[in-house]
Amino acid sequence: MNKPKHDPFLFRTEQLCKLYPDGQVHAVEDVNITVRRGEYVAIMGPSGSGKSTLLNLLGALDRPTSGEVYIDGMRLSKVRNVDRLRSRMLGFVFQSFHLLPILTAVENVQVPMFEGRLSASARIARAKELLDLVGLGHRIHHMPQKLSVGERQRVAIARALANEPIALLADEPTGNLDSVAAEGIFELFARLHREEGMTIVLITHDEELGRRAQRLVRMQDGHIKSDVFSARRRLRTPLPPFAV
Amino acid sequence: MRFYTFVLKNILRRRVRSALTVIGMAVAVGAVVALVGISRGFERSFLAIYQREKVDLIIQQRGVKQKLTSVLDAGLGKKIAEVPGVKTVNSGLVDFTSMDELGPVGVLVQGWEVDSPMMRHLNILTGGRPLEASDKNCLLLGERLALSLDKKVGDTLKVFDDATYTVRGIFKSNTVYENGGMVVPLADLQRFMGRRGQVSGFTVTVDQPDHKAEVERIRHAIEALGKNLEVTPTIDFVNSTQEIVFIRAMAWITSAVALVIGAVGMLNTMVMSVFERTREIGILRAIGWGRWRVIRMILMESMVLSLAGGAVGAAGAVLLTRVLSNQPAVSGMIDSYVAPDVIAQGFLIALCVGLLGAAYPAYRGAQLLPTEALRHE
Ligand SMILES: Nc1ncnc2c1ncn2[C@@H]1O[C@H](COP(=O)(O)OP(=O)(O)OP(=O)(O)O)[C@@H](O)[C@H]1O
Ligand SMILES: [Mg+2]
Repeated sequence: MNKPKHDPFLFRTEQLCKLYPDGQVHAVEDVNITVRRGEYVAIMGPSGSGKSTLLNLLGALDRPTSGEVYIDGMRLSKVRNVDRLRSRMLGFVFQSFHLLPILTAVENVQVPMFEGRLSASARIARAKELLDLVGLGHRIHHMPQKLSVGERQRVAIARALANEPIALLADEPTGNLDSVAAEGIFELFARLHREEGMTIVLITHDEELGRRAQRLVRMQDGHIKSDVFSARRRLRTPLPPFAV
Repeated sequence: MRFYTFVLKNILRRRVRSALTVIGMAVAVGAVVALVGISRGFERSFLAIYQREKVDLIIQQRGVKQKLTSVLDAGLGKKIAEVPGVKTVNSGLVDFTSMDELGPVGVLVQGWEVDSPMMRHLNILTGGRPLEASDKNCLLLGERLALSLDKKVGDTLKVFDDATYTVRGIFKSNTVYENGGMVVPLADLQRFMGRRGQVSGFTVTVDQPDHKAEVERIRHAIEALGKNLEVTPTIDFVNSTQEIVFIRAMAWITSAVALVIGAVGMLNTMVMSVFERTREIGILRAIGWGRWRVIRMILMESMVLSLAGGAVGAAGAVLLTRVLSNQPAVSGMIDSYVAPDVIAQGFLIALCVGLLGAAYPAYRGAQLLPTEALRHE
């Protein structure tokens, strides 16, 4: 793959645009953003400002109308197997969890692993480990509908971690949760960032929770309105605050 | 968890959807197997009528392809018997009659000479006996006809408008036409049908049936006995009989229609059940699955569902044929045997069409961008 030697950025976009033809809406317009490895970025903004669109473009779930996304230096439009890149490098967490209702927690976590190299028994062991990590070691054989929504989102996060991704992308992961469960999920993200060095890009509508991220990107009308590196967190990471 | 375990869980834990898909497939497979099976049964029964006797030559009126309309002079039998090399000569008259009890369904009536070897070879069930020269107004009923009419040996019934006959015996034949028909003395049938001195044809056995040239010689010798005689070796005869040609054509058309309808049904079932899963495909793609894994999962699932549908459908078709063949309205027309190759064919079609029907929507779903698939309702 076309990987330049020293791209310091995990995500980088160039004049990224997404135009939905039906409404002539510029959901994302001329966005240039970079995310370094190990960064924890929260995206906020009013409804319809293009947050989800941007996140989907960063995660190669969608194709831009124009502009370019680079992941770890690889130009997405030139990557032949985007599926493989996605499965090896990225983990997704959705607002409505998107767990498979027919599978238990430990089975759900194993689903992405079919694309990996683990044996069947190693898959189970790893899934159990991950459920332990997200604090659900005691609920591994529960069906999603028998779990609380907060627990479901934990299962979804464990699943996102299944193939040891470099980055987690989460679209309003606490949108369906009450404040206590939301608090727990944000603690989990913070821990994954701090202890596992996970790169995290998440969307939230909650000011208080958003401010806990290392960096807060605000969007409006498809543009980035502000991009602020939180002073509180700066001390903990040796990375430069602004990357353009 | 192994991949195939996952596939099986997908099927077993989504009971309603899987059951509906299996039922949809089963109905289509069942229709194909039952219709093809029944039409093959017709053809088979018809062939068996001619093959049972193991006759070597069949003599009919020239130019008449239908046994029922062939008319020959009964006296010809003696002359044929005198041809060197001829072992036995049997004559018979075949006709149809209707009976009030059976509505518009015609009943096959065969008129035989009471001393003919055919009478002796008839498989009479216990309690009855073949017709004898001394019997007056007696007949034999095929097993199925006896069942439909609810008659036992010794009972009487009205035939040929209003002649009263006594049942002397009930016979079992391996052809459904005969089982659903009756045998009366040749003279009676000739009288009631106004066909005195007429027969439908003669069947001849020869001394050396394997000696081709000898059979050819006898054939020409018999043909020379009259201008209007057509002598045909049994095999050629069976294959050229108008009824057989017609029944084969019917069987073919029925099967073809069943196949088309069945295939469309299966295709519809499978396409719908996979299209419904576009969102799920989006989720799987978003959490890291490649296109081919999605397609593989769906093909494996639809293979299991198609085979299950095939099994249920084939079993249903066999049962249905059995039930239908016992209905009085059709008894004697349909046999309840469905050949294994018809069942195998049903399975094969289910498998092919099921996979094809799943492959298209699976491929389409996998080609979508994950965001597009996720938006799908
Ligand atoms: N599939 C689509 N077709 C047409 N327009 C779309 C589509 N998806 C999004 N849009 C439009 O693009 C704009 C940005 O949408 P997007 O979902 O990215 O916003 P968002 O910031 O995530 O909003 P929310 O906070 O409500 O999730 C909106 O105006 C939306 O109506
Ligand atoms: Mg959104």
